[in-house]
Amino acid sequence: MVVLLAAISACSSGSARTPSSSGGVVHLTFWSWVPNIANAVSLFNSAHKNIQVTLDTIPTGSNGGYAKMLDAVKAGNPPCAAQVEYQEIPTFLLQNALVNIKPWVASSQSLFVPWQWNQGVYNGSVYAVPQASGPMALYYRKDVFSRDGIVTPPRTWAQYAQDAAIIHSHAPHAYITTFPVPDSAWYTALAWQAGTKWFGTSGDHWTVNIANAASQRVAGYWYGLVKKGMVKTENDFTSAWYKDLQDGGVVTWISASWGDAILRQNAPNTAGNWAVAPMPQWASSGFAASNWGGSSTAVLRGCPDPQAAAQFAVWLNTNARSINLLVTDGYGWPAVPSVSSIPSVTGNPKVFSFYGGQNINAVFQQADQNINESWGWIPNVQTTYDALDSAFASAANGNGTFASALTSAQRQTVASLSGAGLKVTSGP
Amino acid sequence: MSAAPAVRRRRRSRVPALFLLPFCLLFAAFFVAPIGYAVYQSLFTTQRSGLGLGAAQTVFSGLANYAAALRDAAFTGSMLRVLLFMAVETPVMIIFALLLALALDAASVRFPALFRSAFFAPYGVPGVIASLLWGFIYVPGISPVVQVLGGVGLHPDFLGPQTVLWSIANILTWEFAGYNMLVLTASLKAIPDELYEAAQIDGAGGLRIAWRIKIPLISGALILTTVFTIIGTLQLFAEPLVLRGLTANISDSYTPNLSAYTQAFTDSNYSMAAAEAVILALAALVLSFVFLRLVQRAGGPGAGGPRAGREAGRRRTGGRR
Repeated sequence: MVVLLAAISACSSGSARTPSSSGGVVHLTFWSWVPNIANAVSLFNSAHKNIQVTLDTIPTGSNGGYAKMLDAVKAGNPPCAAQVEYQEIPTFLLQNALVNIKPWVASSQSLFVPWQWNQGVYNGSVYAVPQASGPMALYYRKDVFSRDGIVTPPRTWAQYAQDAAIIHSHAPHAYITTFPVPDSAWYTALAWQAGTKWFGTSGDHWTVNIANAASQRVAGYWYGLVKKGMVKTENDFTSAWYKDLQDGGVVTWISASWGDAILRQNAPNTAGNWAVAPMPQWASSGFAASNWGGSSTAVLRGCPDPQAAAQFAVWLNTNARSINLLVTDGYGWPAVPSVSSIPSVTGNPKVFSFYGGQNINAVFQQADQNINESWGWIPNVQTTYDALDSAFASAANGNGTFASALTSAQRQTVASLSGAGLKVTSGP
Repeated sequence: MSAAPAVRRRRRSRVPALFLLPFCLLFAAFFVAPIGYAVYQSLFTTQRSGLGLGAAQTVFSGLANYAAALRDAAFTGSMLRVLLFMAVETPVMIIFALLLALALDAASVRFPALFRSAFFAPYGVPGVIASLLWGFIYVPGISPVVQVLGGVGLHPDFLGPQTVLWSIANILTWEFAGYNMLVLTASLKAIPDELYEAAQIDGAGGLRIAWRIKIPLISGALILTTVFTIIGTLQLFAEPLVLRGLTANISDSYTPNLSAYTQAFTDSNYSMAAAEAVILALAALVLSFVFLRLVQRAGGPGAGGPRAGREAGRRRTGGRR
């Protein structure tokens, strides 16, 4: 009954949110959940006399924010601009909920990091302006590493596996990390680093290539560590995991730039003991990092003045003062290549002191410049995540392997896309 | 009274309709219409082509969504799971509630009101909070229970692939047994004392009185609590949704309700969500009906129970799900 009622109410939401021009001033509404984004919006308003933006704070996308947006589009009175995460953009496209803003934003492309810009590009059209990402690195407990005789953080994944054994042998309750079985967004980021491309388009087909060789290699690596008992399998962002961070049960975390705030808030007692190193590598030469999470400003279909909305989206995410306000609270990494003019990135004593004074953002800056640019997403990617979650869980319980989990997720994803009436090719 | 009889008759016939009107309007607006709309929605599918980037078409597809739902192994698996859950949880719940009610109804019990309130209290805790609370008791590394059991060499995995369903059953029993007990207690209170006196004179002991007098006379309340438990277990939703965050062993389509929720809010497929919800509603209807027919054939409700049971039923449906 919950679902019945929810499905009904879905179609009757909303009041008039249409932009109105009065005296040459365009009024827009913007939906977002980013903490303190109101400050950046008022900055925009004070800098623009002809466009005035009203911010509505909504629940995060996965907690109902997206459902609310898609319903507003269906009802014909959406906000003009909205917060949409990178992996959700194709899902919005499938609902025909985004406006192609290429005519108004194409000239700004050079202002953005290429891979982040590409997150909003599908089939030659531009549907979103990138805002922030989650370049990844290795957070590690410096004190534990040196206690156990590990002099330098692991440069390769092979070294990481050796360090895993050393750490566990020194203290049976300590593990190098956890493989978060039901958080396959994390696994996806690790596969991204290995140079795979799970999703794409080819002509009028979506392509799905989850179970490719590089991806299998990553799965085999983690399956080996799990089977040998060298890593835990508890989920991240759970109370048990926070406790492990606090008392040394888990001593590294391969995570995004925003992970810093998570560590500081949930393991304050470990301040000064952490450091950040680049992600361990698969290849002996070259450098590849990865990304976990990311968000854009998109223009929703039904907005009467998409040009003004696109202008707002570009300014919000390129103006140095605006970016400074956006990233202050650790929401994400800027989508612009140069961060030298952004004080909250270049110098942040409160953050750096947690890492013994290390400028951790230098590591993330380097990571953001070395992310596989061809990575894209597919509609309803949550289906893939859910399929992976279940299959990884089965494998961890002894049914199948992580590699067979990829095959199963591949099959379910293809089936789900064709079920939605789309053309889809299995393979590269 | 100066009004002519004809006018009075007409007015009298209009009054009941007037009193019924608010109910009928609200019932139509918030019950019949949503269900009708869900059924309507379940008969359509969204058609796209190629990359699906343009506007999609919504076309009438008859029962195609129902066929697809019944072919979907994840959904049928979730139906079988809640059926198994129902088959185990319903007798456990009802027997436990009955034992509590009978124990509190025994003449020798002290502070019955205090214990009644204590047993009933979990019902006042929202399902989500109850799941969080029990979740902390189940998660290893945090749970004091797991820690204590570990100290004596036991290592239960409350959130394992085979055990998590029964951990959920435990939460449900904790939440609702006290409530069902209260319904049965109300029914027990309605049994006239003369019957007990007569039984005692005939030499019946406490157990025999419970078995021969109390249980038969509250059979109406037992039947109703059973029907509500059947419906409640089939609609399992909040508990697995909350526990999902703590274990990988609850999938996004673990129960039919969860599956419909995922269809609607993850896959934006409202038609499929509607079809799954309708299938679940029909299953609950059929099962409740079958159960009622079975007990009717077995002799029907006793004299004492139905009124209390009916009243409680109204409260239950209004109160929770």
